[in-house]
Amino acid sequence: MANISCSSITKAYGTHTVIEGLDLSIPDHEFVVFLGPSGCGKSTMLRMIAGLEEVTSGNVVIDGTDVTHLAPGARGVAMVFQSYALYPHMTVAENITFGVRRQGVPKPEIARRLKDVAQLLGLEPFLERRPKNLSGGQQQRVAMARAMIKTPKVFLFDEPLSNLDAKLREKLRTEIRKMHLALKTTTIFVTHDQLEAMTIADRIVLMRAGQIEQQGTPDEIFDRPATRFVADFIGSPTMNFLPASIERMGEALTAAAGPIHISLPPERFSGLKTGQQVELGLRPARMDLAPEGSANLLEGRVVLIENMGSEGQVIADVHGTEMSFVTKDFRSVRPGDRVRFAIRPEHVHVFDRASGRSLLNDGL
Amino acid sequence: MTRKHFVFWTLAPATVVLASLALVSIAGAVWFSLMNRTLRSPDYEFVGAYNYLRLLRDSRFFNALQISAIWEIVTVTGTLALAIVLAVLVHETVKSPLRRNLICFAFLAPVLLPRVAAAFIWRFLYSPSLGLLNYLAGLLGLGPIEFLADPSIALLSVAVVDIWQWGLFFTVILVKLLETLPKDPIEAAMLDNASLWQIHAYVTLPMLKAPLISLVLVKAVESLRSFDLIFVMTGGGPGKATETLDLYAYQSGINLGGRVSYASAMSILLLIVTTIAFTIIWRAGKKWAG
Ligand SMILES: Nc1ncnc2c1ncn2[C@@H]1O[C@H](COP(=O)(O)OP(=O)(O)O)[C@@H](O)[C@H]1O
Ligand SMILES: [Mg+2]
Repeated sequence: MANISCSSITKAYGTHTVIEGLDLSIPDHEFVVFLGPSGCGKSTMLRMIAGLEEVTSGNVVIDGTDVTHLAPGARGVAMVFQSYALYPHMTVAENITFGVRRQGVPKPEIARRLKDVAQLLGLEPFLERRPKNLSGGQQQRVAMARAMIKTPKVFLFDEPLSNLDAKLREKLRTEIRKMHLALKTTTIFVTHDQLEAMTIADRIVLMRAGQIEQQGTPDEIFDRPATRFVADFIGSPTMNFLPASIERMGEALTAAAGPIHISLPPERFSGLKTGQQVELGLRPARMDLAPEGSANLLEGRVVLIENMGSEGQVIADVHGTEMSFVTKDFRSVRPGDRVRFAIRPEHVHVFDRASGRSLLNDGL
Repeated sequence: MTRKHFVFWTLAPATVVLASLALVSIAGAVWFSLMNRTLRSPDYEFVGAYNYLRLLRDSRFFNALQISAIWEIVTVTGTLALAIVLAVLVHETVKSPLRRNLICFAFLAPVLLPRVAAAFIWRFLYSPSLGLLNYLAGLLGLGPIEFLADPSIALLSVAVVDIWQWGLFFTVILVKLLETLPKDPIEAAMLDNASLWQIHAYVTLPMLKAPLISLVLVKAVESLRSFDLIFVMTGGGPGKATETLDLYAYQSGINLGGRVSYASAMSILLLIVTTIAFTIIWRAGKKWAG
């Protein structure tokens, strides 16, 4: 168990810079998720912490030791790969114990630990099998057992669930989370799936093109996205965006987008000025059907309804723009119907049209 | 036409030609082996199993059998060992693709030489008076070493030439095979604290088990056909120190005695022995590869 700190990490392949001047510090015991679109440098970052990739410049410190130039095996980290990366010709037991055998742990101790992790991950019936005779989920459990048995300072996961079907992914996600609750080992988990990140993380580090766009708890990221990019990336269904211009009349603050007028709480957006060009962010999950005369009412014609079981996403054409909202009452509307829906002022996000930065007051 | 028909009809002509050639010569050899024909006299008669029974009492035959077995073991293990060591070395030390390809190209050169040419080059290198190797040995205060005339090292000296040709060739194949392996298990082994040689011994080479077994079989078959190399380098000598079965068959059938029937019996026995030996090796290899 250890804290990790990365300072001004840069990584370039030839002239192509993939990570630029990235600073990150992860306290002991934390479960951190690197989240971002594919190609943004999450794996590269993880692999530099693991030692599988050289850093071009900068330092990686694990547990107070500068490991920037240490071999992967000497860093006390264990990694689980998306492809499982099991040794194909070894049995499950040999796979799991390969690392501790290399460390020279005494045989009885290895046997004891093997029994423990196999029991924890439900692998006891498969110990003598070869990886190719296991399902994907079982193979990934073996990979997790192989990481756990070493009792590392840090766990690294690189999209470990991406090759599994949805149901199994959910199950293993819970198991990984439980494992972290029990062991409290500092963990970095890479994924491009925002839902996975939201459900599993203590803290999300949201990356974009080799830099950190925002970091914070899942709630912070969801409720107070620092940029339009974050707001767009997080949340399903995706946030509606509406270009608007600000009108301030005395105490009242409104954003106008053609015939639509959305009132904003002035205490949250004290910096906005009349005529300022902004983009409004309206989360589908924060909107619902509303009776005539409600505040911040939007009116449109239903285009499509997506049934999600307990609730449904309604996509409506609002003055030429498609907007969606989520409601439990979706069974009462039909495509072609006129619908009215509304959002509470405190749930509206406002971003600068040019820079994409959130215009919410600091400290909120 | 179905795929099966297509395969059948495209393979059929070549198969017929090859099968008839092989069958005719094998049948001919069996036929000869039951006579007492020699090149010296036109008379012959049917002698049944006489040639085979005599072979079982021929100590020179058993000597040749032993030399052949040693030759097989030394050249096959030597070739594979050299190839594995060099391939791992190239894989780990030469990272630039251009340099790697240049090395592979250079390693391919020896096997492209005709056997006879390779044999003459090495006879010259081995020469006690003019050879480069003895010059180098002389600098170290050794020698002159009679590489080809000393019965205790002659077979090994010839084997070195064979290993030089085929070991370097197999190195190229292994280098290319190592490049095809998935990176993830190797990286997992690095994180599992395995040293470089442990990674190769426990992870990469076991992953190449199936192609390695194929290489062993290819080389084992190839080693059976080293007549030209041994013939040019030592002619089976000194004494009988490098006389493999094919050399002995040649010596007794063509060169000295001209006892064609006796030599035919020897080839037939050789055919049977190798067929049995290879079947066993093949089965064992398949079982081991799992
Ligand atoms: N070995 C490499 N050589 C050149 N470019 C690479 C290499 N590995 C990764 N990249 C580039 O680095 C960027 C980040 O890759 P990666 O870290 O794998 O992204 P992610 O894991 O977030 O999807 C990508 O643009 C990718 O093309
Ligand atoms: Mg990746």
